[in-house]
Amino acid sequence: MFRPALICLALLSPAVVISQQPAASAVKGNVTARVVDAANAFLATLSPAERAKCTFGFASSQRTGWSNLPSGIFQRNGLRFGDITARQREAALALVAAALSREGYQKVTNIMNGDEVLKNAGGGRTGGRPGAPGGPGGRGGGIRFGLDEYYIALLGAPSATDPWMLQFGGHHLAINVTVVGRSSVMTPSLPAAQPAKYTLNGQTIRPLGQENDKGFALINALNAEQQKHAILNYEVRDLVLGPGADGKVIQPEGILASQLDARQQAMLLDVVHEWVGILNDEAATAKMAEIKANLPQTWFAWSGATKNGGLAYYRIQGPTVIIEYAPQQGDLDHIHTIYRDPTNDYGAKLLKP
Amino acid sequence: MNARCAVLAVCLATLPSASAHRLDEYLQATRLSIDLERVDLEIDLTPGVAVASKIIDSIDTDRDGEISNAEGAAYARRMLRSVTLSVDGLTAPILLVESHFPPPGDMSHGIGTIQLRATAKVPAAGAGRHRISFLNTHQPESSVYLVNALIPANSRIQIADQRRDRAQHELTLDYTVAGNAPPVMAFAVLIGFLLAGRLCWLGRQALQQP
Repeated sequence: MFRPALICLALLSPAVVISQQPAASAVKGNVTARVVDAANAFLATLSPAERAKCTFGFASSQRTGWSNLPSGIFQRNGLRFGDITARQREAALALVAAALSREGYQKVTNIMNGDEVLKNAGGGRTGGRPGAPGGPGGRGGGIRFGLDEYYIALLGAPSATDPWMLQFGGHHLAINVTVVGRSSVMTPSLPAAQPAKYTLNGQTIRPLGQENDKGFALINALNAEQQKHAILNYEVRDLVLGPGADGKVIQPEGILASQLDARQQAMLLDVVHEWVGILNDEAATAKMAEIKANLPQTWFAWSGATKNGGLAYYRIQGPTVIIEYAPQQGDLDHIHTIYRDPTNDYGAKLLKP
Repeated sequence: MNARCAVLAVCLATLPSASAHRLDEYLQATRLSIDLERVDLEIDLTPGVAVASKIIDSIDTDRDGEISNAEGAAYARRMLRSVTLSVDGLTAPILLVESHFPPPGDMSHGIGTIQLRATAKVPAAGAGRHRISFLNTHQPESSVYLVNALIPANSRIQIADQRRDRAQHELTLDYTVAGNAPPVMAFAVLIGFLLAGRLCWLGRQALQQP
């Protein structure tokens, strides 16, 4: 649960990633070419053994082998940040930055920094069953958090024409970017946060703060009649379409965006952009146009408190987008979200002949 | 990319209670898939750390630390007995199709999910409005529930309304089944017969002309 306390911790190792420079995608031009260049530059830093560990066939099962869980209880494949040099790590992050927008890259680093904070705060002491292997907090050596526990993998050869995929993730983060020619998609992806709020270098960081605040702003922008439709009369305590729910589409609920006025629709799109806009600007612009075109068939559902600071779940579901925002187990300081496109997860639509 | 790395002092405004995974809840997530003559159920059960030992003990009845096929099947059947499904007021028996049990060690750490797949045969739904009622009363003292209907694969079925109780033990679904549209081939054959009949009639008329 959320325990307010002012505690200063010194981070002794190994470092906190800070992004202070624009991501490559902020520069105009052919995004795919830049992402391919960044991928090849990263691969050039690897030994043959490292390269073999990092690369997979495009159609391999690695594609769906992602999770929000930390190392120690979910075994990721790819190159672990803790096992590569600072130069290699920098090249890997440059690749992630090239694929994402400036804001998206910042969000990713905020999530990663949060996990380092979690580690240094003793995170993960969940207390296993007495006698369980690995002792409290994990099996077989325990749960591991922090910056060293992020993994990068490439599926297929980086190419400006043939399909390939960048997978980057760790605890509370799964970014899956499929690139097909000039198009790229980032579904499914799972940005999450724990802690949901921390202080770094005197700055308060809320990795998913906009997702929270914009959601609350939207529900409060609805009138009573609209809220009656949007607010579900039951609790939703977890993601419905989290990891492993590929290809599932549930019956939508809530209020249709066609029943919102223009200002409310703009607010809804602004919420959606928090996820879509993680990807590079060119791809995000195209995706937002598609979602906007489908807005009349897009639903917004809310469950829980309507006063910002309370516990609330929400879901946005349209023909080509599903977004869920779900505090975990009644904990405001532990947020999971999911971003899917039921028609184009892993670039399915782009890969059709 | 010039991502700076530095060793920094971090002041935490809050100290998180740090849970990476499920703790004191038994998450029971069900997805229903409706078709004309059956309803399929996907039930995913994830015990939290604090409740896992009780769940494991109720499955691993010989206490050998492993879940045998027989133990798994017995638990699955017990669980399904806590679930009721009715269509238009008639209870539909739920049959276990398959089950998957994770290692007990995973469950004890709140990350193991039991997967049950089941199906209920229901009387063929004719055109019109129908109602499905679902109720899950398994382990209510420690559980949280999710229950959802998937968008029906059969385009004749449209879900019209869904209602749940606050804890999602219950889901009531109203849905409509559209009538059988005449198959395209049958329609084409019918048109063909009509045209042929008309041509015959016209031909006969022409022959009878003086």
